[in-house]
Amino acid sequence: MSAKDNTVLVKSRFNDVDDKNGISKLFDKAGVYVIALLLIILGIIVSPTKFLTPDNMLNILRAVGMLGITACGLSFVIYSSQMADMSVPSAMAFSGIITVQFLHFGLVPALILGIMFGMLIGLVNGIVVGYFRANAILWTLAMQFGMEGIMRYVWSGNQLYPDLEPGTSGAAFVNIFRMKVGPVPLLIIVMIVLYIIANFVMKKTKFGNQLKLVGSAYDVAKCTGINVRRTVLYAFLISSFTASVAGIFITSMNKLGVFYLGEGYDFKSVTAIVIGGMALSGGRGNIWGVLGGVLVMGLLNNILTFIGIPTAVQNVFVGLVFIAVVALHTYKLRKVGKDYA
Amino acid sequence: MFKKCFSVILVMSLLVTLFVGCGSKEKEEKVEKTDSDKASVSDNTNNEKSNLEKSKEIDVFSIIGSDGQPLILPTEKKEVPDRPEDPKALAEEDAGHWWDIEYAGWTTKKENLPKSPADGAIGKKVVLLKAGDHPYWTAYVNGFTQIAEAYDIEVKILNGNWNMDLQSQQVDQAINEKPDAVIFAPVDATACAPLMRKINQAGIPIIASNTIPAEAAMKYCTAWTGPDDWGQFRMLAKYFADEMGKEGGYAIVRHMPGSSPYFARTFAPITELVDYAPDMKLLAMDTANLEAEATMQLVSDWITKYGDELKGLILAGDGFSMTGTEEALKNAGREDIVVVAAGNSKTGMDAVKNGVCSGITYQSAEGDGAIALFTAVRYFNGEEMDPVAYLPRHIITADDVDNYMPAQW
Repeated sequence: MSAKDNTVLVKSRFNDVDDKNGISKLFDKAGVYVIALLLIILGIIVSPTKFLTPDNMLNILRAVGMLGITACGLSFVIYSSQMADMSVPSAMAFSGIITVQFLHFGLVPALILGIMFGMLIGLVNGIVVGYFRANAILWTLAMQFGMEGIMRYVWSGNQLYPDLEPGTSGAAFVNIFRMKVGPVPLLIIVMIVLYIIANFVMKKTKFGNQLKLVGSAYDVAKCTGINVRRTVLYAFLISSFTASVAGIFITSMNKLGVFYLGEGYDFKSVTAIVIGGMALSGGRGNIWGVLGGVLVMGLLNNILTFIGIPTAVQNVFVGLVFIAVVALHTYKLRKVGKDYA
Repeated sequence: MFKKCFSVILVMSLLVTLFVGCGSKEKEEKVEKTDSDKASVSDNTNNEKSNLEKSKEIDVFSIIGSDGQPLILPTEKKEVPDRPEDPKALAEEDAGHWWDIEYAGWTTKKENLPKSPADGAIGKKVVLLKAGDHPYWTAYVNGFTQIAEAYDIEVKILNGNWNMDLQSQQVDQAINEKPDAVIFAPVDATACAPLMRKINQAGIPIIASNTIPAEAAMKYCTAWTGPDDWGQFRMLAKYFADEMGKEGGYAIVRHMPGSSPYFARTFAPITELVDYAPDMKLLAMDTANLEAEATMQLVSDWITKYGDELKGLILAGDGFSMTGTEEALKNAGREDIVVVAAGNSKTGMDAVKNGVCSGITYQSAEGDGAIALFTAVRYFNGEEMDPVAYLPRHIITADDVDNYMPAQW
């Protein structure tokens, strides 16, 4: 392959597809927000008086708050071309349990410990996947099972309840989920702040650029001197950090810590990320698209409940959107000679 | 060279282990034989009778559970109406439609049931095949273990981990243990039928527990024990209607799809309210997979959609479903909505105490485990038993919630 061919190949990996016709063009410009807009129009048609109210919009945001947080961090892993982090649920449950366990040290130390222990999972994932090049899905699945077993064994499968007496750290802890800044829940504010930071890290920092290169062309990144192993490790650390934050919120909401809190957040997060236009093959998409994917999932569930469609069937709709987005993405890639999404 | 040496050493060590293992097995068998010899001698020396007498003398009714209630609760029977000719032809709102599920086990023709040895329960060996891990099941095992200790019963617990394939393997393991009885809490009510048949063919008695197995499995069970979900929810439905003044719209947050409570905790209230409070209107029913955040979204959406028309909620679980509902009601400022639920976890009882929930069903997890093993004890003692034994029904309200504290899970 000539140097010119090589340049073209690398360039094509960096630039999102050049198919600028019709629907594809619209999607390239506005991405998942086109779907969100269509859903909003559908919602207005379904329930003209009740859908587009501040209360309902707040309900949708509140419902996807924790999903938004986990998806935000997980998108770094996917962006780095590592497909997925299936240990997100165990990081959520573990950080919550540890926080409740150490509430007697005070709220802030317990929260710090909770996040640190949750991030330990990310650290191990990062070392094994980043440094030993283990398959990310297989390893993080193993980690998920392993951590679940450890939590079951250590806490005998029991639920851990914080002390809820007024004035205690436990009471303050369960209040975290219920705190509001004006009319807006703290959960939503934390989610938005995390997305702003994530966007800055991904687009404006050296690490973000390196992550894009690692995700787009691992071997090329390695040749340019980037510490690819450390970059992947950081991606898993970020994923476990956001999972731990979401774990604290979900534990605070449920007023108890238990090993199965957070179940399902792995696949739901991946779905939101893919709907948001981030390619599973890495290096493509952006963080605001991920937020759009999260909102689309919230809007879909809300509207389908309004119509009266059962939850089980709602999952079919989410699946269909997932398939449609992947199909569109694959189609666009194939047009420029690539055959993976 | 290294590989060859390593292989030879490995093979040698395996052979040595094999011989040592066989030798010890021979010894074990000899010990077993000696024991059985002893047992046969004891047939003639009245030791067996004394075991039975001792077993019958043990008072487990005075054991108190961690919630301050008796561990062994008086079980209930219920009147079984005639089966409709074709239940499935009836509408879902007709109680007859659910006859086969609601009265499962009562009229089952049993097959090849092992005869009770009637030689007492002390020192017997029992394998518990539990469905999976959950705080409810932790409490269940607590109750089970207390009864085992009272009768000095050797217990082996195998955890199915909510996986039918795993439970299938564990059935073989249980049979190999040669226990005196198996307590079987199936992961899947239908798929457990061939497993129960296998245990039955090995001549081991089965006490099914907690989840009602399908008719095809029930015929191999000496007895079934557990909560009367249908009966509890009929009782809860009447209490709910009374709290609602027998009018207004209501919705049901359902259990996990496919599980037996998914049907019982939905259609017991629906069929009951059709007769008891015909002016009440079912607005919606759906599952949120017992997740707090999903329940919060579902209930919030219902409140937005139905507004003041929604006056009451029936929850199939009082744990995470209750937490999600509580948040949705608080966010919408709709604390006027009447809530009832299946109980009785700490979350549910706290909700009753705080006034968020009007009533929850009483379902002792420890009692559930205890009654299963106690039924096996009754079998060992040669007692006559009903094919089905329900835990007692009760609605916990603000008036008596303190009597059930602290929560078992």
